[in-house]
Amino acid sequence: MIQYAARRLLIAVPMLLGAMSIVFFSMRILPGDPCVAMMGDQATSDALADCSRNLGLNRPLAVQYADYLWRSVRFDFGTSFRQGYPVSEYIGRMFPHTFVLVMASAVVAAVIGIPIGIASALQRRNPLIDYPLRIFALLGLSMPVFWLGILLLIVFSLRLDLFPLIGGGDLDGVIAMIRSGEAFVYPRDFFAAVGDVLYHLALPALALGFTLAATVSRLARSAMLEVISQDYIRTARAKGTIERKVIYKHALRNMMVPLLTIIGVFIAIALTGTVLTETVFTRPGLGKMLVDAIGARDYPLAQGAITVFTMVIIGVNLIVDMLYAVVDPRITFR
Amino acid sequence: MPPFIVTRGLVALVVVFTALGLAGPPLAEAQKKILNIAAKEPDTLDPHTSVLGQTQAIVRFMYRGLARFAVKDGRVTTAEVEPDLAESWTLSPDGTVWTFKLRKGVQFHKGFGEMTADDVKYSFERQMHRAPGTRFGVNLEVIKSIEVIDPYTVQIVLKAFDPIFLLRMVGYQQGYIVSKRAAEKFGEQFKWNPVGTGPFYFERQSPREKVVLKAFDKFYGGRPQIDEVNWFDVPEDATKLIGLEKGTFDLLYPEAVTADFADQVKRMGAVIDRMGPGGQERFYIDMTKPPFDDIRVRKAFMHAIDRKAIKETMYPGDLARVATSCVPDGYFGHVPMHLPEYNPDLAKKLLAEAGHPNGFTVKNYFISKSFFYPKVLTLVQEQLRKVGITVELQVVDHATYHDNIRKNLDPFVLYGGTRITDADPWLSLFFESKEIPDPATGNKGTNFAHYKGMDDLLAAGRVERDVKKRAAIYAEAQKRLDRDLVCLPLQDVPLQWARNPKRVAAPFPSDYGEFALHYSYNFPERLKVLN
Repeated sequence: MIQYAARRLLIAVPMLLGAMSIVFFSMRILPGDPCVAMMGDQATSDALADCSRNLGLNRPLAVQYADYLWRSVRFDFGTSFRQGYPVSEYIGRMFPHTFVLVMASAVVAAVIGIPIGIASALQRRNPLIDYPLRIFALLGLSMPVFWLGILLLIVFSLRLDLFPLIGGGDLDGVIAMIRSGEAFVYPRDFFAAVGDVLYHLALPALALGFTLAATVSRLARSAMLEVISQDYIRTARAKGTIERKVIYKHALRNMMVPLLTIIGVFIAIALTGTVLTETVFTRPGLGKMLVDAIGARDYPLAQGAITVFTMVIIGVNLIVDMLYAVVDPRITFR
Repeated sequence: MPPFIVTRGLVALVVVFTALGLAGPPLAEAQKKILNIAAKEPDTLDPHTSVLGQTQAIVRFMYRGLARFAVKDGRVTTAEVEPDLAESWTLSPDGTVWTFKLRKGVQFHKGFGEMTADDVKYSFERQMHRAPGTRFGVNLEVIKSIEVIDPYTVQIVLKAFDPIFLLRMVGYQQGYIVSKRAAEKFGEQFKWNPVGTGPFYFERQSPREKVVLKAFDKFYGGRPQIDEVNWFDVPEDATKLIGLEKGTFDLLYPEAVTADFADQVKRMGAVIDRMGPGGQERFYIDMTKPPFDDIRVRKAFMHAIDRKAIKETMYPGDLARVATSCVPDGYFGHVPMHLPEYNPDLAKKLLAEAGHPNGFTVKNYFISKSFFYPKVLTLVQEQLRKVGITVELQVVDHATYHDNIRKNLDPFVLYGGTRITDADPWLSLFFESKEIPDPATGNKGTNFAHYKGMDDLLAAGRVERDVKKRAAIYAEAQKRLDRDLVCLPLQDVPLQWARNPKRVAAPFPSDYGEFALHYSYNFPERLKVLN
């Protein structure tokens, strides 16, 4: 298994290099000069020349590319053109926000999507249950997250005044408390801070989770349909096992394998979903940062963010492959 | 049976959701006067390094200049200046040496000591020497040298007389005084460790979330009434409005004030503070590119455009004013021009005379998808179509647009913006021949009309010391624009903030009570939180 993991990691290197090169060149093929983007209507020719020199954009492309790769090897993604922060530090601060959002929406998507998928599979011959559930799935698929997000904000934040309008809570504080060990010394403060983060997370996670739930429910439905047509389920029923036990003990466990395969894809979809979710809910995070960076032609920041996205997706897929063996003992690695 | 799975899952979700909602926000801090502002995130807090509106607006809370725009008859005007960090100034008889006496006892934030002539010298020289990232050195190119006479006296020697030098010394962009000690200590990181002499000091920043400022006890004008300013990063105007209605925000710095935005602000009982001179939206017509190299075609273009209709559609009522000159109202030297009136029949006639009886088509016309650009251009497109000019639009993002217009890809260019409120810098940027953009030489200037007809006047204006004669020179320049028809101003759009008047009181009237060039209130320390 270790050998397999090592091989996979080796394959990941050219993949990462490919992704990094694509983003490097596509950013530069995009029309629009970072200095003009930065100065907008006030750019004078002198100021633009100064700016290009300061950012090193007057160097030949090949030199810039080599410099970028050499720095990346040392995990130095450079400094954001706009904000002047080291990119790795900036991403380090944004990543936890996106991470908790993706995780929380995954939970929401699973809690809503999997039961609905299962129910719709088991009750496929009962139109009173299957149809509404399928309509729900269709609704989730066709509802854009920004629309649902604004709707949730108007109802739960503006009208009912239950949730905050903006922000991500003091996640930096929570992380700092964990790192310094304060979380164990002052558990009450720690839980209050965690509560605040969750309070800020509820609406965005619901919005993103709900739109993802539709995909999950469709996949869960087909996974369950496949499993319940298997011989061992018929055998279990024939033995007189009660239905609840058949579903929980025999069917549910076995449908996890096909579900696992889509987690990698799911994370990729969720990451793209964070872009709009973070914008609508005015949350800090990688998605919003990436879009702004591309709009501002902030090359180092955009390159850094896409490299991290790529690494996350490669990493998740690797972990999922490892998990197969845990979930299904028949699978071995070669 | 299966539905239990659904119900259990959903019940769990509803319970968590309700519990989180009912738990509510953490208790508010005790009775502090907090001002919550929704704007976009600044890209830096070093006042000399950014041209973004939100950045220039927030730095006004933290920095001051030697001079400030004068308060006249209860309003702030950009036509005159008065001392701020300087106590007084004198000009040598030959007009090239300015001596500034500094106010004593002005303190920098965070214990960086008293402001002295060294800080003034440093603040200007870093820009003149084009320290990396600085953007406004071009505005200080008139300076030959700066000398510290004593800690409270600084002498600035100019290369030649500069009629607008005091305007350059006002606290905005190049005019802000930074702490030399802090800027040298922090280097590149000064942008997030700002130290000025303004009424608020920087406390912290949570990237992509907010910047927190605190009242500066030792501010020379007295401690502000507001204890804390939270500057939230809210890119969407829709979210800003929800926040204003909900009470999350007290002040909004919107991306664009549309009729719909203004209606919603009014409906919720909030007000819009309008500040001059704002930005002017206008067309420059490239007079070197056929068919616009024929003045009859340029004239037809201008007769085809109904400026009043565009203004009323885009900014009904008070939201903007129809522009009267290519030098905006509120700038020194402005005189109303005689712009061609809307007359589509005459436009068609002129086009026929110029050899285009059936009009013509402008292919691949690039327009930015941001701000006012696409809306204005679609209105114009429709009006031009009526006289036979077809414009095939290609919508591109803002950065691409700026790139393309500098490559001379558009035969007429829609442009907006604000500059130092004087005809000299304004006309120099848009009509001096050295600003003609040229991809071959890499010149990225903004003379999109490719105009060469007023270099002599601009040179004369820069050395003229008599105010009346200067005004006459710029009046003549505007006459030449009348004659050559290369610029069509559409509307003057003020800078606008939305404010909840039940929460925050502003010191000057809402309607053009202030003129400014820093995208912000002139005196943030005089804003008052009411409850």
